[in-house]
Amino acid sequence: MGKSFQIKWVFIVFFSLITQVFILRDVALAHVAFCFIYLWIILKAPIQTPLFYVILGGFFIGWIVDIFYNTHGIHSLATVFIAFLRPVFFKILTPVNGYDERSSVSLSEMKALWFFPYIFVMLLTHHLILFLVESADATLFTYSLLRAFSSAILGTLVFGILELFNQKN
Amino acid sequence: MNQLFQFLIRQKILLLFVFLELVNVWSIFKYDDFQHVIYLNTTNRWVASLLATSREIKTYHHLGEVNAQLALENARLRQEIFKLSAIEQPESKVPYFVSSAMLNRYAPLASKVIDQSTQMSQNYLTIDKGLLDGIKPGMAVISSTGVVGKVMSCTSNLSLVVSVLHVDNNVSAKIKSTGELGYIKWLGIQTEVVEMMDVSKYKKVLKGDTIVTSDYNVVFPPNIPIGIVAKIGLEKDKTFHQIKVMLLTNFSTLKYVYVIKNHLLDQQLKLESLKPKPE
Repeated sequence: MGKSFQIKWVFIVFFSLITQVFILRDVALAHVAFCFIYLWIILKAPIQTPLFYVILGGFFIGWIVDIFYNTHGIHSLATVFIAFLRPVFFKILTPVNGYDERSSVSLSEMKALWFFPYIFVMLLTHHLILFLVESADATLFTYSLLRAFSSAILGTLVFGILELFNQKN
Repeated sequence: MNQLFQFLIRQKILLLFVFLELVNVWSIFKYDDFQHVIYLNTTNRWVASLLATSREIKTYHHLGEVNAQLALENARLRQEIFKLSAIEQPESKVPYFVSSAMLNRYAPLASKVIDQSTQMSQNYLTIDKGLLDGIKPGMAVISSTGVVGKVMSCTSNLSLVVSVLHVDNNVSAKIKSTGELGYIKWLGIQTEVVEMMDVSKYKKVLKGDTIVTSDYNVVFPPNIPIGIVAKIGLEKDKTFHQIKVMLLTNFSTLKYVYVIKNHLLDQQLKLESLKPKPE
């Protein structure tokens, strides 16, 4: 938890939010796949961060995105939800005798078999809540599911690529 | 009581989670009441100004698209002008009616310049419309500022245009104010200057007169601006003015041009071919 680490986090929070609200806001691949890069903050928060702060952070980040997306609370709802479920996913995905020494969520410290399912499940949960609540319409149910799945796949790819730039060695 | 507090402290994460989710759910369902209280959406002043700045930056990336739209719009307006000027006639005692075929004689088509030269003695432009868009060799090409040239050959999607800056490409022209006829010829040196030939030295020409295409032009519609008289002298044989004309079209920065389809061209050419050949 050095000083450079904190600066790096301020940088990540700032830039993922800026990218999200100014560039990715109007971008959709084939009208179904959206990229929510601001979830990087929740996904990559260090593992020993108290859950209390992760949830609170998820709430405020979600609200900022909500303000720019005019979604009045839906992003925040979904983000708080996955922030709360984060330790549950950790527990499910980690083997019993598993990695105790790890401190951050990264591809270099963890196996790809751990990292990608984690990202995918987190994103999918978030997107399902987001798109289902947003459409709030039974007729759009399958379309919302399609959007959630395709966005989760796109998100996993994007975060995988971002992680390649983040390798330590 | 103490036990209750102990319980609350132990469950603080769960409580926080439930509380925040309730806030969100309340906000989602009560949005209509809520938005009047605090403007936590894009109508918020700070948010709006940030978005406006970001849009301003993005707008630069759409300039190409906007230009193309404007060119189309201009082509439409230009057609209106052709119609209006066909109706407009000099004062005449004889009643004059213009036929609808004559009114709709010229149809401009906006197209983009994708390649061009200005430095050779024979300069050409390539434009992004071709046979499939209804372009045929011989059609006039103008820009928003003046004449550009004439279509020489077409493929299905592209066309090659002989620029006015081509030593063999002459354009029939007149002096706008007096109606004196002549033709425009490029001498192959300066890309801004052409020469107007065949204007008798007894006719009055002033510096600053506008040169436009003549009414007897097979290729160009009448009264398309060509240039401004920049310098007047006498030819060596002393029968004609030597008129240097500053071109109005800046060829080096040309981006969009209009190809003029002349619907009556075939008829006109057919009639003119019937003229008896001089012996």
